[in-house]
This record gives sequence, C-alpha cells and structure tokens, in this order.
Amino acid sequence: MQEEHFDIVVIGGGHNGTTIAAYLSKCGLSVCIVEARPECGGGQENTEVRPGFRIDPHATYLYGGAAPGFEQLELWRYGFRQVYYPSMAGLVTLDGKAANLGGRFSPGLAEQSLAALGVEGGIAGGFLSSMDPGATKELLRALFWTPPHPPTAEVDPADMPWWQVFRKHMAPLWSERLLDMSYVDFLEEFVAWEPLRTFGAFAAWYCGAHPSWDGMALQSLGGTMLYSYSSGSPRGGMHTYAHAIIRAALAKGTRILTNAPVEEIVVHNGRAVGVRLSADAAFPEKTIWADKAVISAVDVQSTFLRLVGNRHLDHGFLQAVSDISLKGGSLWVMSVICRELPKYHGRDEWFPTEVYPSCVVAPADSMESFHAQTRDAYSFRRLPQDLSPEHLTMMICAHDMYDTTRCVEGYHVLSPIYLECPPPEYDVTGPDGYNRQKAEVTKAALDLLGEMAPNMRGDNIVDVFVNTPLDSEFRNTGMTGGNWYAARQDSDQWFSNRPLADLARYRTPIESLYMCHQTMHPGGLCLMAVPYNLMHILINDGIAQPGSWWYPSPWYMADGASHLAGHGAGL
Amino acid sequence: MAPLRGPGTGFAIRPEGERASGLPAEFPEESEFDVVVIGGGPNGLIAGAYLSRSGLRTLVVERRQEIGGGLATEETLFPGFYTNPHAVYHMMTDYLPVLQDFGLGRHGLNFVKPNAQLAAVFSDHTSLVLCRQVEDSKDSIAKVSPSDAREFGKVMRSWRRSVEEILAPGTYLPPLSPVEMTEALGRTEAGEELLRLTEMSPIEIIDEHFGNDRVRMLLLYAACMWGLHPDEPGLGFMVPLLVERATNKAVCYGGSHRLAGALSREILAAGGIVLDNSEVTRVVVEGGHVTGVECFDGRLIRAKAVLSSLPPPQTFGELVDGSEVPDELSDAARRWEWDQWSFFTMSLATSEWPWYDTDDPWANDAFMTVLGFDSTDQLREHWRTVLNGDVGAGLGGHVTVETRYDPTLPRVPGHDVAFFQMHAPYALRGGWEARSEEIGLQVLQTWQRYAPSLTADTIVRKSIETPVDIETRLASMVHGSIKHGAYNPLQMGVFRPHDSCQAGRTPIEGLYLCGASAFPGGLVTGGPGYIAAGSVVGDLGAGKWWDEPRYIQRYRERYLS
Repeated sequence: MQEEHFDIVVIGGGHNGTTIAAYLSKCGLSVCIVEARPECGGGQENTEVRPGFRIDPHATYLYGGAAPGFEQLELWRYGFRQVYYPSMAGLVTLDGKAANLGGRFSPGLAEQSLAALGVEGGIAGGFLSSMDPGATKELLRALFWTPPHPPTAEVDPADMPWWQVFRKHMAPLWSERLLDMSYVDFLEEFVAWEPLRTFGAFAAWYCGAHPSWDGMALQSLGGTMLYSYSSGSPRGGMHTYAHAIIRAALAKGTRILTNAPVEEIVVHNGRAVGVRLSADAAFPEKTIWADKAVISAVDVQSTFLRLVGNRHLDHGFLQAVSDISLKGGSLWVMSVICRELPKYHGRDEWFPTEVYPSCVVAPADSMESFHAQTRDAYSFRRLPQDLSPEHLTMMICAHDMYDTTRCVEGYHVLSPIYLECPPPEYDVTGPDGYNRQKAEVTKAALDLLGEMAPNMRGDNIVDVFVNTPLDSEFRNTGMTGGNWYAARQDSDQWFSNRPLADLARYRTPIESLYMCHQTMHPGGLCLMAVPYNLMHILINDGIAQPGSWWYPSPWYMADGASHLAGHGAGL
Repeated sequence: MAPLRGPGTGFAIRPEGERASGLPAEFPEESEFDVVVIGGGPNGLIAGAYLSRSGLRTLVVERRQEIGGGLATEETLFPGFYTNPHAVYHMMTDYLPVLQDFGLGRHGLNFVKPNAQLAAVFSDHTSLVLCRQVEDSKDSIAKVSPSDAREFGKVMRSWRRSVEEILAPGTYLPPLSPVEMTEALGRTEAGEELLRLTEMSPIEIIDEHFGNDRVRMLLLYAACMWGLHPDEPGLGFMVPLLVERATNKAVCYGGSHRLAGALSREILAAGGIVLDNSEVTRVVVEGGHVTGVECFDGRLIRAKAVLSSLPPPQTFGELVDGSEVPDELSDAARRWEWDQWSFFTMSLATSEWPWYDTDDPWANDAFMTVLGFDSTDQLREHWRTVLNGDVGAGLGGHVTVETRYDPTLPRVPGHDVAFFQMHAPYALRGGWEARSEEIGLQVLQTWQRYAPSLTADTIVRKSIETPVDIETRLASMVHGSIKHGAYNPLQMGVFRPHDSCQAGRTPIEGLYLCGASAFPGGLVTGGPGYIAAGSVVGDLGAGKWWDEPRYIQRYRERYLS
C-alpha cells in the first residue's frame, strides 16, 4: 500500500473544498484535495449538453461578490472575470402585466417600470438599485462572512452582527420585530402590490432563504441582496469561477486528486489522521495521511454517518446528524434551447433586448401559487398535484443576452428554469417520484411557458434538458437531497445552530476533523464564506498562520467570549 | 434611460468609477508574459508545460470554457452520463515523452491498455479479434485463414520494429526532407522497407500480405480509419504505424480530460497561467516581430513568443495581419485541405450491457469493434459514398463500450455508456440538420443487428454528434477535421503545414506553430507541442531541462549521426 503525507487533507473539491485548500496553501501548508468526481467545481458547473450550448444545472449567478476571498486569494490573477447585467430581474403576471426590476447598474429602471403600471413599489421597488454599495457590502459580510459565535455568547440582538449593521444603515426600518418575522411577513408589511410580493418570495427562495421561515426575514433579504450586489455571473458561467479558485490553489501548491472517492476518514484515538481512498480511485495511493487536520468539504451526514462511522461517535450525536433537515433547497431544473427569447404576452416593448431581465418570475399573480407549491413540496411531500398556471410559478433565467460565450449565435438558452420540489428522500411516492413524472412536469412547464409567452411553442423550442433533485444527487455527490444548500437554512439551522450547535464553529467531536461544506454557516451559493469563516477557527487552533494578506471578520468572537461589544468595527 | 454597455463589446458591462468600487478585481486589460500559447488542446498544453517549467512565464489561452481540446470528458448524455466525445483511443502512450518527463502518473493519470483491442463482428455472427498480444490475434485469424495468421505474426514483428526504431522517434523530432529521409532510412533493412512502403497505397500494402477478405477488411479499417486514403500512394510508411498502434491503444481511466488536467497542473505549479473562455482574435506583430495577442474582449497580452495551435487558415488567414505573411505561405494557408472525412457519432447510455451475439466472447471485451462490413468491398463502398458527400444504406463503423475499461463515466450506478462512430462527410448531401435524425436511426438499426440487447427499454439516453457539431464544439476542427487538415503527401512531413515552417518556427519572427496542423499531425501524438517547445526554449535562450527519451537517442545514433 502506498501512502502520502500532507499537513491537510480536504475531502471534496467543490467550491468550499477548493477555496479552503487555496487559503491553506497560501498559508504555506501542504494540502491535498481528494475529489470523487473527474472534475472539481462541485455545483459550479456549466455543461455543454449540445455542441455550442451550455446550461447551468446548478449554480447560475455570482452571489459572492462581497467575499474577501476574491482579493485574499487574488482570483483575478487566475482568470476571474464577471459580466454585469443591465437588468437582473423582472416579473410577469397571467393577467397581462409585467415589470422590469432592473438592477444596480440600471438606476431608475425599476421605479420607471412600476410607475408605468401605477404601482407603489414600496421597499422592493427600486430598493435593489438604490442600495449604497458600501453599506450593502458591510451588511452582507456581517450576515455571511462572519463565523458563528461560540456557545458562550449571549443571544441578544446587540450581539447579532447583521442587526447592528442593519440598524446603522437602515434606521427607518429599524424595529426588533423584524428579528422574528418571516420574509413573507416582511413582504406583506412593506410591499403593497401582490405580484411584487410573489416575486420577492420566489427570489428569496431561489437565493436559498425560504420566505416562510420565521425569524429569517433579514437573512432572506440578505440572500436577495447577495444576488443584486453581484448583479451578474462570471463570464462563461460559474464553472469559470471554479477554475479561478482551483488554479489559485494549484499555483500555491495544492495537490488535487480527482477520481479519488474516499472510503473512510481514518480515526486513531479520537483524532482524524487521514483518509483511505476506495478501490476504484485512479490512484495506487490508498491512504493519505493528514498531519495537522482533515477537512470535510462534503455534507455533514455523509461525513459522520458514512466516512467516520458510528464506532467513533455517540448515538445522540448521530441521531441529531441524521435529523438535519434537507428541506428547502431541492429544485427541479429545466433548460430550454430556443431561437427567440420569451416575448411575454407577445409584447416586445416590455423587455427590450438591451435590458432583458436575466431572471423572470412568472406568473407572479398571487402568493397562493407560492404557498401551494410549498405545501406540495414540504407538507404533502410530492409532485405538485395541480399543474395549472394558477398553481405553478417558475423562475426563468437566461444569460446569453449579456454573455455571448454561452450559446451559438441565433439561439438562446433559458437555463435554469426552476420549480420547487421535495428532496427525493422525503418524497412520499418514493425517491424517484419526480423522475417517474419527468415528462409530465416538463410538459406542464412548457405549456405554462407557452401560455405566458406565445412565441415559446413549436419550432422555437429546439431542445429541453431536465435535472431533478435525484439526478442532481447522482451528478453531484455532495448534493444530498438534491438540495442546493445542503440543509434547511431556518433559524434552527442557522448561524450558531448550523447545522447543529455542536458543529457550528466548524469543529467536530473528532479531534482535528473540521467541517467546510455548505451544511455549515452560512450555507450555499458559492460565497467562499464557509472557508473564510473556518479560517478564523484554524488560526485560533494554531493550524493556519496567514500572512499580511489576511484580514478577519470584525465581528468574530473568540472562544469563551460572551458579547460582541467592542468587536463591532466601531459600531 | 440608457443602460450601461461595455465599450464596443455588446455583452460585457464593466462598471467604472464609483460603481465599480468593491467589486471583485478581474484579469487585467493588459498583461505581460514571456510566452503565450493559443489553444489549450493537447499540444498547446504540452508546449505550455515544457515552457513553463523552463522558467518562461507562460500563458495558455483557450477559447472554450474547458481546456483539453479533443481531450474532453463531458456530460454529453445529460444528466448523469459522461463520455469522451473526441479523443478516446490513446495510441502513443508508450512513447509520449511528456508522460515520463513530468511523471504525470503522479496526478493519477492512468492508462489502461486492454489485450482485446480491435474486433470485427460479421453478419453471420462470427468475429475476428486482434489483440495487443500478437499470438492471440493469430489464434483468432487462424479461424478463417491459417496462412494469414502466420503472415500476421511475421508482419507485426517487422512493423513493430519499424515503429520502435523509426516511426515513434520520428514523431518527436523535426521532419526530414525527402532527400535526408532517403539517406537516413537507407541505412537499415527496416528503413528500406519503410521507403518501399511509402510508394504504395494502404490497400496495396494490405493485399500484399493477406488473402482472407475479412482479415483484409479489418486491417484496412485500422490503416485508414484516421484519414489515409485507401488508394493513394505516398504515405504508405504510416500503415505500419497506424496498424501496430491500433493494437496498442489505451483508455485514460477517468476520462481523456484527465491528461489535460494533469498538464494544466504542471503549468500552474511552474508559475504559468491557464486562461479559458478567451478567444484570441489577433496576433500582434510590430516591426515584423510578434509582440503579443489580443483577445475578443480587447484584452492585450504581451509576449516575446506566441505559439498557435490553430490550423493555417486561422493562424495566417485570421489572426496575423495579411501584410505580415509571405505570399507563398498565405497561398498555402488558403489552399489548405481539411480532413478527407469526419465522424458521425451516436452515444448511448444503457441499462443493459450492449453485448454482441457472436462466436467469441472476447469480441465483447474489445476496446473497438467494427460493425457493418463483411468484406473490403462493402467497406470501400461506404468510404466511396462518404468521400462523395453522402452516407448510404451500407453504412458501418466502430463501437466502443466506454464503461468496459472505465466504469467511472456513468454517475448513475448499473449503467453503461457506449458509442457508434462512423466516417462521415462534413458537406453531406441534403445537409446534417435535415438528415441527422434519419442517419442516426440507420446507425442505431445497424448497431442493433449485432447487439440484440439494445432496445427502446434499455436505451436510457442518446446523443448524436455530426461533423458540424465537432466544428461547433471545437472551432479549430474546421469542417469536423479532427486532425486540423488532411493527411496527404502534400500536407505531411516537411510540408505540414508548409515548407517555410519547420520545427514549429514560421517566417514571422516570434510566431510558432504547435498544433495538429504542424508536423507530425494530430491524434494526440503530442509531437507538434513537444517539437515547438524545444524550438522556443532554444530561441529564447531558456535552459532546456529535459533529455530526449532513450528510444529517440537510439534513433539519432543509428539514423541521423
């Protein structure tokens, strides 16, 4: 048996695994990533399903524009490039209305569009384009790029970093009631026009913050702000962003083994000392030793239930791990290749090409369609029973108006088109429930698209591709439940509770085994946030010693601290 | 209200001033390297790896979102099933210097070379199986012709020697002129035999040795499948190479893209950069000397040397300003002939192994199995039809069940992926858009005649790639030319791509060629990239850190000293 020795072994070469490897290699540590699939990048994928056409089966927009990782890892050196879109969002209703909600690079567009409808936008109308970028970045960093507090911390609003920033910059909205609200409550209070509320609910949902979760209104708002702050996508799609991270890691000396599935995390005397590869790995080296730490960038359930195993863990912990909820982020993803972009209700003038909204919520008539889909997915745990337009709302994304590298001239790619559905594990009709009804749902979705945009019928549809949550699980081994952020991001599984209070600081019951996966705070969306947050802990534990390029979160609370006071960057 | 637009690009907004503050920094508008390599296919990456390790600051620029060119492993059977849509059969792994020079095995690069290499299954359910181990091939041939079996043993011994002594080393050295070649090869018997074969056509060479028509069909397929014309003399010396290598093909475990991945890791580890999704639109020439490249988004990258892996019409007709190219070279580029045929490929994901109903179970283990032809006449009729721009009823091709030697490709357990590939014209009568479905159905029916388990129930996904699709995926494979240009006597040896371009150098100072359109050609030999890297390192005065493999040194001693 051959062996290799490293300071650090990272299991999983998705977004979080490659980012932490780049960070630690930059600290001068020897790092090895072991990835089961043939290619790193995890959910940051763009697949050329048909020659010249690339779809987005998972990640689609850049959410992490506020991440310290861009400068700390110097991703620009390794080819990072972004396309900023003149319009990020729009909505269309069945009863013949449409609004172009623009984005931060087209000031006034949303206000103008809503005014033409005679609609009072409230906080949502123009909110996204009028945000102060500095304040937004501060708020986003407080929400996402701050490690969860230690168990000794008090849970007073004053100790919540995001609340401090919110209060500082958005005083007119300040009320502690916001802390208990769901995003649906928030929208009902601040947004008058129902289609705009429906849009807000769906947008938050696809940004990873389901709007019905109590106490998560600000986080949901933050999710949509992540989207509008970055306002676009890396040129060529999210996989090119993965390339920049992977290459930053390689350039600093990270060793990456692909086609290297891990069979077991080797634990000696309660301490993780390495990993053993499975027999079908492309390597003769079957055991890879980690002298300083093993970092798991695969989901918590696979990590403990499969890779560590129950010999090393107590039953209470294992039960809590297996009960981590996967609900919330399982998506049915459709990609449509077409000759013309949808012309909603046949109207050209709503969405002219130069400001065509990259993402359209349709039909956005009523919140009832949102509630109905939520009930089907999580209460009845099955395919939507009523596939009629009144009960189905889709989010329809397209990038190629602004990024011509994504498809052949003369065509367009609508990808992804989202519908919410239950994780396969919870589907009462069986894990392959959705797969068995793929044809039926695809037809309903295409019919609805044709109903909203009459040109989306017949010859205009060139090809259709679908990946269900079950397909996503197979395609992307880290995506348990086909869930895009691995575990429900509700208040029971957020910040110092994510995914369990015992794991929130990225440490685990196994010594020198750390977690670095989207199951951890702050979840998914390819933010480089989990690794950034984990870095604080690794520095604290004496494993990483970064150079002057590193800066910590101003809201980081060291072990044993009880209050944020004095840490809050001059707040 | 006017939305922001990028300057002249039509697709990229680049926020400026206050709006840009706090946004992530991007790859710079202008940058400087020692060397820029255009195209991140196998040769571009090989050149990039050697140059980067030489201490030259190297940038490889690739138009596609993924490097590798033909070294592609992609989810063409979406969702859940990967295939290798281009390079599958790695024929030069025994010789490719880059594998040893960089110790690429370290990256888990794993070539599996099965014994059962090349089979044919016939309509009467009998088969022939050619193997890496010659005695096994002889055993199979003896079923139909004991004398051909005996001859096969003798011929393969001789051809193997030619490959080891002359043809393989010649792949990684600049070509000899016809006069030099006559002088060099005249020194040994093996050399003289190659000189003799050169003047023969593939069909004459096969006919000279073998009498059984099925044996001849299979060997002719092996000799010509990569684009030698069966009837044309002048390149007969390639027959031993192609036939001998046809029984020494290897699978890249985990997919062919792993080779590209391993090379890019070497480039990065040595301080180089790989930039994808960036089409180079212009090679900048100032005062007769190359000074850099410009990308499609206006980014300017300065360099002392630029290596192009693109074919001559693109390099000399599009990238370099016409006034900088000598007339003779630009005429040659304009007259460049694309591959004589391209490929039509149908890939399937199946829930059952597509086994053949045949007399020898080893046919099911074969890396490549020819289906559809019972005789050389049938094969040649198919080729004639293809060369005339059509596909007829008597089509046939070769099948590879990719999962047989690489179980990693399907992400869904219990499934296989396989493809049927056949020669096909780029300019099809009636056009591919109108006819690809009809031809796809014919291909499937042909395949099903031999593999009864392929039914509507067992086929879970299907994809078709036409020659037009090849060009769409990989823009340098113009007209679906996987080798960047035909193999004919006027485009091979010192003439590939033109006699003013030798050892990768061109008449334009600082511009080099390192792709499949340069000597010795395509098919992942890695020769063009290796040869160009040697020239650039010498010309830029960087240290050449690698030694030639022993088999090349022996060739130098015996034939060139």
